[in-house]
Amino acid sequence: MCLAKPSHHLMLSRSYQPAATITRRIAPSFISRGLASESIPSSSPPVDATKSSDVVPSLSPGVFTAEVVSGAPFRLVLAAQLRHRVVRVYQPTRNTMQSGGAKGERWRIDFDILQGGARWENPLMGYASSADYMQGTRMTFKSQEDAIHFAKKQGWDYYVQAPTVKKIPPKNYSENYIYRPNKLRIMKTK
Amino acid sequence: MLRIVASASRPTRLAVANRRNIASTSARQADITLTVDGKEVTVPQGSALIQACEAAGSPIPRFCYHDRLAIAGNCRWHVPRRGTTLTKTRCVMARSLPFLVSSFFYSSSSAAPAMNGQVVFTNTPLVHEAREGVMEFLLANHPLDCPICDQGGECDLQDQSIRYGSDRTRFHEITGKRAVSNKDLGPIVKTSMNRCIQCTRCVRFANEVAGVEDLGTTGRGNDLQIGMYVEKMMDSELSGNVIDLCPVGALTSKPYAFQARPWELKNTESIDVLDAVGSNIRVDSRGVQVMRIQPRTNDNVNEEWISDKTRYAYDGLRTQRLTTPLVKGPDNRFVAASWPDALSAIADGLKRTGASGNEIKAVAGHLADTESLVVLKDLVNRLGSDNLASDLADKSGDAPPVHGVDIKSNYSFNSSIPGLESADAILLVGTNPRHEAAVLNSRIRKSWLHSELVVGMVGPRADTTYAYEHLGEDAKALQKFLGGKTNGDFAERWAKAERPMIIVGSAIGEHVDGEAVFSMLAQYIQSAGTRLVRDDWNGFNVLQRVASRPAAYEIGFVPSRAAASTTPKFIYLLNADEIDPASIPADAFVVYQGHHGDRGAALADVCLPGAAYTEKGATWVNTEGRSQLGRAAVPPPGAARDDWKIVRALAEVVGVDLPYDDVVSVRDRMWAISPSLVRWDALEETSLPVAKAGLASLAGKKKAATGQKLELPITNFYQTDVVSRASVTMAQCTRAFVTRESEPLAKGAVEMHA
Repeated sequence: MCLAKPSHHLMLSRSYQPAATITRRIAPSFISRGLASESIPSSSPPVDATKSSDVVPSLSPGVFTAEVVSGAPFRLVLAAQLRHRVVRVYQPTRNTMQSGGAKGERWRIDFDILQGGARWENPLMGYASSADYMQGTRMTFKSQEDAIHFAKKQGWDYYVQAPTVKKIPPKNYSENYIYRPNKLRIMKTK
Repeated sequence: MLRIVASASRPTRLAVANRRNIASTSARQADITLTVDGKEVTVPQGSALIQACEAAGSPIPRFCYHDRLAIAGNCRWHVPRRGTTLTKTRCVMARSLPFLVSSFFYSSSSAAPAMNGQVVFTNTPLVHEAREGVMEFLLANHPLDCPICDQGGECDLQDQSIRYGSDRTRFHEITGKRAVSNKDLGPIVKTSMNRCIQCTRCVRFANEVAGVEDLGTTGRGNDLQIGMYVEKMMDSELSGNVIDLCPVGALTSKPYAFQARPWELKNTESIDVLDAVGSNIRVDSRGVQVMRIQPRTNDNVNEEWISDKTRYAYDGLRTQRLTTPLVKGPDNRFVAASWPDALSAIADGLKRTGASGNEIKAVAGHLADTESLVVLKDLVNRLGSDNLASDLADKSGDAPPVHGVDIKSNYSFNSSIPGLESADAILLVGTNPRHEAAVLNSRIRKSWLHSELVVGMVGPRADTTYAYEHLGEDAKALQKFLGGKTNGDFAERWAKAERPMIIVGSAIGEHVDGEAVFSMLAQYIQSAGTRLVRDDWNGFNVLQRVASRPAAYEIGFVPSRAAASTTPKFIYLLNADEIDPASIPADAFVVYQGHHGDRGAALADVCLPGAAYTEKGATWVNTEGRSQLGRAAVPPPGAARDDWKIVRALAEVVGVDLPYDDVVSVRDRMWAISPSLVRWDALEETSLPVAKAGLASLAGKKKAATGQKLELPITNFYQTDVVSRASVTMAQCTRAFVTRESEPLAKGAVEMHA
C-alpha cells in the first residue's frame, strides 16, 4: 500500500480491481510510484543461499535486468507496474499423498499474489479472473543459484525459502520384535 | 606379496577368540557400504535396503513401506526366494513384496536389511518382470475405476502400473473381483474398500502415531480386511493423515470428495495457525477458493502429519466472511461502507469517546499475525496507550501475563518439538497436548513407544494417546509432587531422569493459581541445579495453544499494570473473538478487524474485513518461538485487505505517522523489535544465563496456591477459533466425536453394510 511515501520501489499492494479499496482514496497519484524505478536503492543485503532470507531487492551490480537489455521504451517499462514482483525461490516439498520423489530436487520460482488484483470471481460465468498476468506462471530450475540468478535478471525481488532436511532413522524389520521389559505399550492390530 | 601380507596380518585363532570376548557387542560398524546399480553408497548399519537404494538415487517403488512408520511384515520376502508358488490368494498378503524386489534374488527391500558389500540391482529385466507380475496380482482385485476415484492423479498404484504394469489383462474371473464392504470411519475418512491393497499403512499409522488401536485387520489372504472390528468411527484428531498415507484410493477425503483433481490445483506452501505448533502446510487452491490443505514435511515441526482441524477447517474460510467494511447505523444494524467511510467512522468514534492514553485498548485474538500485531502496537503506543490486551479466558488477558514477557524462555517450548524425542520423563501440568497441540502430542507418543519415557500429569484427567500417572488435579498436588512427597513409579523415574521435561499448559497462566504454579516450578528447577536447565537441555516448557500468542509476547503486546486497571473507552479488536463480552464497557466504541463475522464482530461498532491466514503472507511464531513465513494462496474476498495494511491505513486517518509503508519496512521494524521474528524457520534458543534469569524472576513471586482445580482450556478440539467454528466439517466432527450425537449412517453406507 502506498500511503505516505510513494517513492519506494517495493510496493506490494496494488489495487487493480475496481472495488472499494483503501488505496484509492488515500494514496496519492498512481503514476508517481511508477517513477520509483529510477530511485534504486544502492545496496542490497547479502544473501546466504542456504538460509531463508528476507525479501531481497533484486538489483545487484553486474546483472542487467531484462527491461534494460530488452531496449523497450522506458515509457512502456513504466507502464509495467508489475515489474517489481516478489517471487519465492523454494524447493517444493514432496506431495504427502504419494511416495515418489521425482522432481523433488528442482527449485521453483513462483509469484506472490497481488492484493486486490490476484483473482476474483467473474460475475458473468463464475470463473476466476485475474489482473495478474504472472499468476499462472511458475518456473523450475536445476539449482537454487540458477533460480536466484534468473530472478535477478528479471528484476524481481525474491526471497529464498530454505528446504527442510528429512531425518529418517535407520529402519529395521526386527524393530517390530524388540523385547521391552515393562508393560507392553502398543497393541499391534496389523 | 599381497597374500603374504594378508596371511601375516590374519589373526590367530587365539586372537580371534580374545577379540570376540572383548568386543562381542562393539563389533557393529557404524556404517556399511553397498553397491546399488553400480553406485557405491554408505548408509548407517541397520538401515533397510530400501533406504540404501533411496540414498543411492535408485528409489524403489513401494506401497507398504513408509518412512515414518514401522516396517511392515506383509512383504514376506522369503516366500518367492524359496521358490514357493505364488498362488493368487497367497499373493494378496505377499503382494507388496516382490514389488520392492531389488536384489539379484527376489527380496523385499523394505524388510531386508542392507548388508555390507551387498550388490543390488534395481533395474534389470528380471526385476521388471517381477514387478510386472506383482502388479498383475495387485490389479487382479483392484477395481479399474480411476476416472471416478479421488486418488486419480496422485495415486501410487496408478503411476506404478503405468510404469511397471502389463499393457493387457489376463483377468477373466467369472465371479468378478473381490468385493469388500465400506466402513464408516466418520466425517473425515471416506472408504472405498474394494480398492484396498492391504498395505496396512493406515493400521500402522493408527497404532503407532494416532494411538487408535482399534483400526486393524481381520481375516487372512484374500479375505483380509481393514476396519474397526465393530461399527465404530475412527476417533482421532489425526485421522486425516491416513488419507495421505493410503497409496491407493481406498481411504479418501470425505469433505474433498469429487471436488477437484490434483492437476487443477495451485499449491502454496504456508503455515497453519489453528494451533500454536505452526504445522507446515500446503494450501491447494483453485480459482479463489482453498480446495484442501495438505501437510508439508518438516521434521522440526510436524514431521509429516497435521491435525484434522488444520486439514479440514478450510471450508470455514468460505462462509461467514466479512467482505466489506461495516458501520453500525443508528438502528444498531450494520451498514456496508466504503473503506474511507469506515476508517473515518473509526476516527470520529475515537474523537467522540474522548478516549486518551490507556483508555484506548487493543485486543489481540487467536489468529492475529505478527505484522499486524506490530503495526497495531505501534499505533496504540503512539496514541499514548499501553493497553494491549489479549482475549484470554476470564479477562486474564487484560492483565500482564503471570510469566512476564521479558524473557522468552518463560513462555516458550524451550526443549523444542524434536527435543521431545530425547526426553525420558515428562510432567504435564494443566494441559492436554492432544487437544492443544495434536501433532506435538503424536511426538510424545512416538517417544513413549520407542523409549522408556514416563509421563506424569497434574490437572484434569484427559485421554492422551499414551499412559500417564495422574498425580493430582490442582496446584497443591503439584507442590506435593515437587516436594518429593508423592510416591509411585513416576516419582521414582522422575527423580532419576536425565532429561526431564515439564510442560506447562498455557491455560495455567489464566488460572487463579497460575502465579503460584509458575513460581513453584521455577523454584523447583532452581533447586534441582542442572537437572532441568543446563547447557544442552532446557526442560521447562510452556505449551501455547494459540497461534498469535508467542508473537504477541515476543513483541510485548501485553498491558502495563496501570493500563490493566483502566476502563477503556475505545477498543480495537484484532481478530479477538474469544473475548468476554462483559469486559467491554457499554459506552465504549468498539472496532473489530478480522475475517469472520463471529463473536467479536457482533460486539463491534465498525467492522473492518481482514484477510484469513490463507490470504496473506505473514509471519507466525509457534510455541517454540520458531518464526515461520506463511504465504497467501488466494486473494481475500471482496474488499478485505491485508491486516497490517488496514491498521496502517487507519493510522493515517487518525493522524498517526507510522514509519513504514510496505511489508519490507514493517519487517525491518520487526527486526528492530526482535531479530528472531524475521529469521524464518530458524529456532533461536534462549541462552542459559538468560533462561536462568527468567526462572529467577518467576521464582521470586511468592504466592500460595489456593488449591482450586486446574482446568483444560479446550473442551472441543474441533471448534476453537472462528475458522473452525464456521466450518461444516468441523461441526460434523463435533457431532461425531465430541457431543456423540448418534449420527445416522449415510444411506449409501447402510446399504453397503447390509
